[in-house]
Amino acid sequence: MITATGITKNYQRGAESFAALKGVSLNINEGDFICLLGPSGAGKTTLLNILGCMDAPADGDLVIAGQKVVTSGRRQLTDAKLDRFRRKHIGFIFTDFFLIPSLTALENVEMPLLWSGKPNRERAKELLASVNMDHRLNHRPTELSGGEMQRVAIARALVNNPRILLADEPTGNLDTKTRDTILDLFDHLNQQGLTIVLATHDHEIAERVTQVVRLNEGRLEG
Amino acid sequence: MKLGVFAIKNLAQHKVRTILTLLSIVAAVAVLFTLLSFNQGYEAALKDQLQQMGVHIMAVPMGCPFESATLILKGGKIPAYLDMSVMEQIDQIDGIQIAAPSLMHGLIRPEEGRTDIFLGIDERMLTLKNWWKIKGSFFKKNNDIILGYNAALVELAEVGDQIYLPEYDKTFNVVGILESTGTQDDGFFYIPLATAQALFGQEHKITHIQIRVKDPAQADAIAGQLQNIDGLSVLTTAELMGTMLSLMGSAKTLIFSIVLIAIVISTLGVLNTVLMSVFERTREIGIMRATGAAKRHIFALIWLETLSLSLIGGTLGIVIALIGAGQIETVIKRFLPIAPQGSIVSLDPGNLLLCLAFILGIGVFAGLYPAYKAATANPIQTLRKE
Repeated sequence: MITATGITKNYQRGAESFAALKGVSLNINEGDFICLLGPSGAGKTTLLNILGCMDAPADGDLVIAGQKVVTSGRRQLTDAKLDRFRRKHIGFIFTDFFLIPSLTALENVEMPLLWSGKPNRERAKELLASVNMDHRLNHRPTELSGGEMQRVAIARALVNNPRILLADEPTGNLDTKTRDTILDLFDHLNQQGLTIVLATHDHEIAERVTQVVRLNEGRLEG
Repeated sequence: MKLGVFAIKNLAQHKVRTILTLLSIVAAVAVLFTLLSFNQGYEAALKDQLQQMGVHIMAVPMGCPFESATLILKGGKIPAYLDMSVMEQIDQIDGIQIAAPSLMHGLIRPEEGRTDIFLGIDERMLTLKNWWKIKGSFFKKNNDIILGYNAALVELAEVGDQIYLPEYDKTFNVVGILESTGTQDDGFFYIPLATAQALFGQEHKITHIQIRVKDPAQADAIAGQLQNIDGLSVLTTAELMGTMLSLMGSAKTLIFSIVLIAIVISTLGVLNTVLMSVFERTREIGIMRATGAAKRHIFALIWLETLSLSLIGGTLGIVIALIGAGQIETVIKRFLPIAPQGSIVSLDPGNLLLCLAFILGIGVFAGLYPAYKAATANPIQTLRKE
């Protein structure tokens, strides 16, 4: 599903250049539930952003669902094609949920369909029901708890029916009980065939997934 | 949900800021629409009024003819006089249908806060203004008076009543009241010319002569001949209107310059508001990109927000201008040196379209930069931004 080879990424910190990823190679098969485990600053978010086509590596190759996205550090798709590709194949979940405050839960879930040009309220309702949020459809993010917000964010990530779900510390702001509920939901989605890549520094989460990839100082370990 | 609904919801999220920006657009558009309407209405009303006068040439004492003409139109105390003997010379000129002499005198009534304009006239005025309809009759005696329609309303007088002028210890009998003409004539007090000359101490004097020619195309040629009469200053109504409109033109240029500045400020206000909201929402824009929005979606969303702001504000501005047109007209008239009797605010569909185009212009222009800025922001950096 995803093949990343020799991915490097550098950031500029003032006059200094800082290497966030140093030749990371990774192969993810369809239906995998992978945990990117590593401390803060290990490069997890940077790798997720590159795998999600949100950021471009300085060097390396990236192939997703058979599509060459990056070859030798060069993007192979135009902006418009990349946007379409991302919409179709990839769903994102963030630590801070990142819901749009002016929209209700239902509208937040419906939003990605707006970008596809196919708004579909029923589809958004179905997804919110699947994450047990059908009783909070018309609530705004400020009226929801952390767990509820993350469930809305998950429904939003799934609304375009993507094949890959990328989650960046999705339980970082949740208590243990809510965290387990969200992880149960991920398990359920994975069992339905969704490929999930979850970045975390929480070792307890790592114990629940099928495959753990350890990242430290921009390099894969083990 | 449609993109337009999303844009409106974003605007509603920051109510105070949105309302303040809307107010600046409302004010600019309301002023623009009112001024355009006034500009057109004033010109039309002035033309109407001068045409209704049925006068092609106005002869006044030597001096500034425009000042005198203005005073005559508006009603006032004319500072210079002509001798009645000029009438003999005027009557000798071919092509004149009627020349009506008048003596105008303003009687200030400070306790009532007004000036009563007395106009000494004779039968010739009746021939000149052959559309006048008088309830009652024309003068038969020296102490008869005819009241203009509005003058009668102010005096609460009817035909048969008496009017006493304490300044001159003189009593007049109201023999006639003019039916409404819709012109300045409605405001005057008409007394026999000879009586006016004796009463105001101006024996054989007149302040002006209003002339109608047989063929309006000859007005300029006849005005040229009249100009040769000693002590006479001549003005055709066409010249008078041209001068008044050009005087108004200077004022208009000034007013439109101020409106232009208001428009620029209003546009910058909209630009600033949308730009601020873009900066505040950089993370939201990053989320939209992460959830599949293309640059063009972000551009369209921000641009729609600006357009919505402009269209809502502009429409409200036009509605307010339409509702307030009557009140605005009253205020403007108070400041005008010569205000025609009719409506001076013309609510024209052309002006409406111009204002709508202007609103769209604000929206399109003010939205471009913020929309571009939002669309080209790096989604990764925007998501990192706290």
